[in-house]
Amino acid sequence: MRKIFKDRNKVVAFVLCLVMAIVCVTPVLFSFFTSVRSELEIMTGGFSFLPADWTFENYVELFSSEYSTSYPILRWFLNSMIVAVSQTILVVIVASASAYAYSRLEFRGKNVLFWFLMATMTFPSVINIIPMYKICQTLGIVDTLWALILPGIPGVFNIYLIRQFMLGIPKELDEAAMIDGANRFQIYYKLILPLCTPVLVVVAMFAFTGAWNDYLWPSIVMNKVDMLTITPGLQKIKDSFNTMPAHAIAGGFISVIPTFIFYLFAQKYFMKGMQMQAGVKG
Amino acid sequence: MRLAKKRRVDLVPYLFIAPQLILFAIFFILPAIIGIVAAFSKWNIYTDSAPIFNGLSNFEQILFDSETSYYTMFRNGMGNTLLFVVISVPLCILLPLFMAIVLSQKPIGHKFFQALYYLPNIFSISTVILVWFYVFNRSDGLANNSLSAILGQTVNLNWLGTQPFAWVAITIVTVWWCLGGNLVIYLAAINGVSADLLEAAQIDGAGLPTRMWKIVLPSIRPQLSYTIVLTTISQFNIYGQSLMLTSGGPDSSTYTMMMYIRQLAFGSSSVAGIAASMALMFGIVMIITSTVLNRVTAQRD
Repeated sequence: MRKIFKDRNKVVAFVLCLVMAIVCVTPVLFSFFTSVRSELEIMTGGFSFLPADWTFENYVELFSSEYSTSYPILRWFLNSMIVAVSQTILVVIVASASAYAYSRLEFRGKNVLFWFLMATMTFPSVINIIPMYKICQTLGIVDTLWALILPGIPGVFNIYLIRQFMLGIPKELDEAAMIDGANRFQIYYKLILPLCTPVLVVVAMFAFTGAWNDYLWPSIVMNKVDMLTITPGLQKIKDSFNTMPAHAIAGGFISVIPTFIFYLFAQKYFMKGMQMQAGVKG
Repeated sequence: MRLAKKRRVDLVPYLFIAPQLILFAIFFILPAIIGIVAAFSKWNIYTDSAPIFNGLSNFEQILFDSETSYYTMFRNGMGNTLLFVVISVPLCILLPLFMAIVLSQKPIGHKFFQALYYLPNIFSISTVILVWFYVFNRSDGLANNSLSAILGQTVNLNWLGTQPFAWVAITIVTVWWCLGGNLVIYLAAINGVSADLLEAAQIDGAGLPTRMWKIVLPSIRPQLSYTIVLTTISQFNIYGQSLMLTSGGPDSSTYTMMMYIRQLAFGSSSVAGIAASMALMFGIVMIITSTVLNRVTAQRD
């Protein structure tokens, strides 16, 4: 073990970390405690960090039929789930297939195409967003989940990440498989993809959380309240904050459950993913 | 003629890239082209099937015609967005950097702390706002009440309704939201710095600040450059914080460029041409800024 830093530094570091952690967590705890107070207690009780009486009624009521007529949270959840899961699967397939071709196959225009794709990454997406709506309208997919699933699939950065990873796999493997009579589809599917699991997990997780957390685009392309996903849906709930703050906060907490569970189990991959994107080994 | 070709074109590679290219053409190239054309057009997105070319008229109105509301909107939105970028980007770089240096000392529980700081990164903007909104509540919120307790006198700040507190609130929320992302990158980079080099420096009598400044920072320069550019671009796109926390107020002082663009293009009387012109200019500002930042911060060899 390297003993570069003295123990005193470790103590100071620990104290700083603890202070930072308290600063970061306290607002979340405060809001969580607010979400388990009754609306009546909030209205009449004034400021209190801890609830006088714990109740999870607000959380249950979010799913009641009365609440759902204005804020169909269950439906939004389902929409988010469908969009996030299908986009994740499609992103992994489409991006890995491209990355395979750009990293391991020879074809005319390969380099030009690849560098063109890479160059488009600097293009500001704010320019695209208005015409995207028109295109979805022309395709007849406004107010359908397709409008949320399809545009996210061709993301160029995913190709870059997977290609980088694939370049590290020895070409001799492909040649050996070729000699054994495998064609390129089989090599891609049976040989290369399994070897790319770490990067594919990273791409999948970022695709899932990206789709789940997307806010601006769904709020533009979905005119019907029923077709919203949970993230823009929460904005509607926020409109009721003044009358029902505890319910609104409860909605916010409920919406992170899927990504939070993901995070608990695959924390390492999220960090690894950030580091991969920045081109630094974790 | 075709038979005369000696080598048959191998189509298989194209099958691998086709799905992405087709979707990319429809959902990226096409909107990019239309977006640029629309900037020079009159366009009601709900009634006109295509943008109607009208030359530089949009730009003239936005940039020079102080009679139109577009002129005021653009100036206000651009000013507010730039102000936010200037305030938030340094904080979104320096605080994670500082915490990464702290965590690199590997105190007890450093893995746990890292995971904790990163957690807000996986929250959506609406969750972030719902978590923070009540904190800034004037009478019952955590912000005023904890300040009152600390200072020993009643603090009654109208956080979201007066300046500069509205910006302070938006900045706090933003920094809290994005702290962990850059931190994780810096920490990995710092951990990759040669231990031998650091040890040698220490034997030569270099203290921790010197080692950080002279050895660690230069070594993680590529990551610093990357995060500065990326953070700047993402803060330029500020939308949800202003929309949901302050509703652009007080007096439109936190109304951002993205909010105006969205409102103009998709409002009931859609002026998507004007919005597209603003988007184009805004996009160019972003490209220039990120290019300059990249030049300034990247390794010069």
